[in-house]
Amino acid sequence: MKKLIAAMALSAFAFTPGIGAAQAADYPDRPISVMVSYGAGGATDFQARIVTMMAANEKLLGQPMVIINKPGAGGRVGWNWFASEAETDGYTLSAYNVPHFIAQSIKGGVKYSADSFEPIANWGSDPAVVIVPKDSPYNTIGELLDYAKANPGKVTMSGAGLFVGHHIAALQIQKAIGAKLAYIPTKGGGAAAMKAVIAGDVIAGVNNLSDAFRAREAGNVKILAVADLERNEKFLPNVPTLKEAGYDVDNSSVNFRGIMAKKGTPPEIIEMLAAKVPEMFANGRVTKQMNAGGSPIKIMNRAEVQKMWSDRQAFLQELLKDLK
Amino acid sequence: MNSARLQHLIPGTLVLLLALTVVWLSFTREPAESFLFPRLISVVMLALAFWNFVRAATGLAKVGTGFTASLLVTIAPGVAVMIIFIFFLAKQFGFYVSSTIAFVAIYAIYDPAPHSDPKSWAKRVGVAIAFMVLMYGLFSILLKVQTPRGMFF
Amino acid sequence: MEFLNHLGGVFEPVAFLLLLGGTIGGLILGATPGLSPTMAVALLIPFTFQLEATQGLILLGAAYTSTVAGGAVSAILLKIPGAPANIATALDGHEMAKNGQGAKALHISFLSSGIGGVIGVLLLIFLTPVLAQWALAFGPSHLFWMAILGVTVIGSLDSKSFVKGLLSGCLGLWLSMIGYDDIQGAQRFIFADALTGGINIISALIGIFAIPQVIEMFAKGRIASSISSLEVEKQSIWASVRETLGYKRALSIGTVCGSVIGLIPGVGGQIAGLLAYDQARKFSPEREKFGSGYAEGVVAAESANNAMVGPSLVPLLTLSIPGSPTAAVLLGGLLIHGIFPGSDLFDNHPKVAWTFINSMLVGQILMVIFGIWIAGYAAKVAKIPNPIMAAAVLVLALFGSYSIQQSMGDVYIMLGLGLGMFFLEKFGFSAAPLVLGLILGPIAEANFIQGSMIATAGDGTLSYFFGGVLNLFLIALVIASIAYSFWASIVLAKKTAPKPEVTK
Repeated sequence: MKKLIAAMALSAFAFTPGIGAAQAADYPDRPISVMVSYGAGGATDFQARIVTMMAANEKLLGQPMVIINKPGAGGRVGWNWFASEAETDGYTLSAYNVPHFIAQSIKGGVKYSADSFEPIANWGSDPAVVIVPKDSPYNTIGELLDYAKANPGKVTMSGAGLFVGHHIAALQIQKAIGAKLAYIPTKGGGAAAMKAVIAGDVIAGVNNLSDAFRAREAGNVKILAVADLERNEKFLPNVPTLKEAGYDVDNSSVNFRGIMAKKGTPPEIIEMLAAKVPEMFANGRVTKQMNAGGSPIKIMNRAEVQKMWSDRQAFLQELLKDLK
Repeated sequence: MNSARLQHLIPGTLVLLLALTVVWLSFTREPAESFLFPRLISVVMLALAFWNFVRAATGLAKVGTGFTASLLVTIAPGVAVMIIFIFFLAKQFGFYVSSTIAFVAIYAIYDPAPHSDPKSWAKRVGVAIAFMVLMYGLFSILLKVQTPRGMFF
Repeated sequence: MEFLNHLGGVFEPVAFLLLLGGTIGGLILGATPGLSPTMAVALLIPFTFQLEATQGLILLGAAYTSTVAGGAVSAILLKIPGAPANIATALDGHEMAKNGQGAKALHISFLSSGIGGVIGVLLLIFLTPVLAQWALAFGPSHLFWMAILGVTVIGSLDSKSFVKGLLSGCLGLWLSMIGYDDIQGAQRFIFADALTGGINIISALIGIFAIPQVIEMFAKGRIASSISSLEVEKQSIWASVRETLGYKRALSIGTVCGSVIGLIPGVGGQIAGLLAYDQARKFSPEREKFGSGYAEGVVAAESANNAMVGPSLVPLLTLSIPGSPTAAVLLGGLLIHGIFPGSDLFDNHPKVAWTFINSMLVGQILMVIFGIWIAGYAAKVAKIPNPIMAAAVLVLALFGSYSIQQSMGDVYIMLGLGLGMFFLEKFGFSAAPLVLGLILGPIAEANFIQGSMIATAGDGTLSYFFGGVLNLFLIALVIASIAYSFWASIVLAKKTAPKPEVTK
């Protein structure tokens, strides 16, 4: 309770209203908003709340980061708002999900592209995994995909939405086996897609490694394969990658999460954030709680993220070209 | 034709026009899968709007009080303040300044105390500021909502 | 009876203080327009970083419980439902407050919340394994029929005019489709930039209920008599208890509706209050009193929306599936401490699990006590002069609608819908069916599309949507509900025919 009061008092004192435009020199002098384009309680929201919890520390940013949720249409609503309406004073940042927003911008109908944003740093990577209900007749990825090959369009596979990591993984699998899958996007994100698998509404599903790991621990699903280049030694040492199982699927669907600013934000502010934010992600308490929640950490600095973005951009353009 | 019947025709026509627009939009836009559900809804809406229109036109619609000239005159200044406040001032002047102004304006318009008495003005401004301090405490300090600051605050 | 072994944990000093703080804070947050229980709980998550797992969950559990009930305060006093769950409370509750029975309405609302809530948590304690299987039985086709069942309520929810009630509902359904299509990602009906994000349900609620309310206050004009507002009747607690317990039918309908709907993942309990209200009215011999400030309506709505709290956590605690947005936030609260819901939770962390559940049980009772304690003061809101009230509600509407997503678009939508609603209400259209349409539209659509995608890959649409006992049962309910509405509209029309309503 003492700590609670202390935290409340601290945050009350930390708030000192500044007047006029933000000065890069004394940035930040008020709380920074971080927009998450998924609902409260989703994996991105949950992780964003953990990785930003140390922001108010004097050695880091010295001001708290506040999460704002703008969910809708697989992230399009939030990123549209960020690209078109957010201010560029450095007090409004956003979480990003790659490949989601890049794939959506290639598909069109949105107001952003990879060029609308400036990456700051990456905090995590969550590979997609293929899951089936616990009483499913399929025990290996080979059995499931052989059936899919023999019965094109009959294997229903749930995922968080269209043009998100799960969908990319399903598309890659489709391409690898040369047969259609019935990909079922859900409205409620990864949690709803998971429910569809556990309840047996669908035959299989693509989901986040972290959520699938939890569901397996609870005895609800079987995890058949990971859509990554290497096995996940920490959480799923026994689950093969799709590559190992003989399917040509790489790590393009891995869900990278991090923080970005809007293009037009003063370069000094971006530099300052790019230096401090990875440090904040690497903080001992942050990593401890990320690990406790089963969320894989992958800290990347600004330069690394820039390279990752342009790699994904090129790859996705190629992959999505074949689709209408 | 009495005035009630005439009045009911206004919303009846407006809603019918809206329903027609929605039907037209739903059936002309692509992709078809995305507009499947809107098509369903819009057809039902059109049928209901037509039914409602017929009731209004034949004088069967009796529910609702409608508007009177004196009602419109009474609410006009308040609604005007409301529209200017929310649509224009809130963002330009910042939430706290514009809210204080709008609070005083609405209070003054509908307060029966005499406008010539400085005391009634002091009370109006005082109440507005007290309320805004409360809002500041709740939203800015406790919930850390960053409201638009506009040109003042 | 394992939960009794851990009951002591709730009464440890720190835990109990957190429980108190969470309950009082939750009541205040819940009463603030624009702060839904989901947002309130999400706001508290950072505080739980500093606490032990059990303590953090006590705080969250207490806050969840009391924000749901706290929403009734603004619904009753200001006619601004704090969350969709409280819409039905506003229908009769605000009328009671206008009649000077604000204190009574608040007492009854908290008491019935408490009763529904305790029963809901007891269901969670004793029947979790059975209920979990039920929750999973609802697939896309069943959820679609559930939503349709909700839609059929629309027509009867508006007692004034059948066709206008249905039309208002249709308008709501259409409004819910504005913005990006959630599954395909196509843009629909975006006439203005503010609409790209779609219509946020909470800001719509604020606009549709609060703005007409403010204009009605303007309409009283600048006359001295409007200042001397009505007296607030004193209400003894025991009289309230007796009265609440007297509404056995409404209490049981509310509790059953709330528990069943709370259990189903994806419906999220937003419509529990409205469905219970509607059912209670249909079964009440005094059904024409509903909507005019009748306590039974408040009892049904509030017992339903708190009965939902316990069962809504069943899928989360047993299967690790968050059934509602609030449950998703609570999941985050568990994960931060390295606790995975599911068998792991009850086997390896029984103390955490049971203390959390117990805290909701004790929280319900504390919520009733504090709710009743503040009711006397809160009801005095009705004595605030009209012009001050109008200005204050308008400012609250601005801040509330902005703070949901920190977006001006939501604010413009709020006022636009509010002005439109004021105009339409003058001609007998009503707000509750419109909001119901707005809530149910996305549920019906998403499940319809998802269901038909699954059906095309499988046995075909017809057998998917019409096969199986549960589908047929729900369809039967839909048909019964429509038939009742038609019957009632004919009977009611005959009843009211001799005395036509006054029109100006």
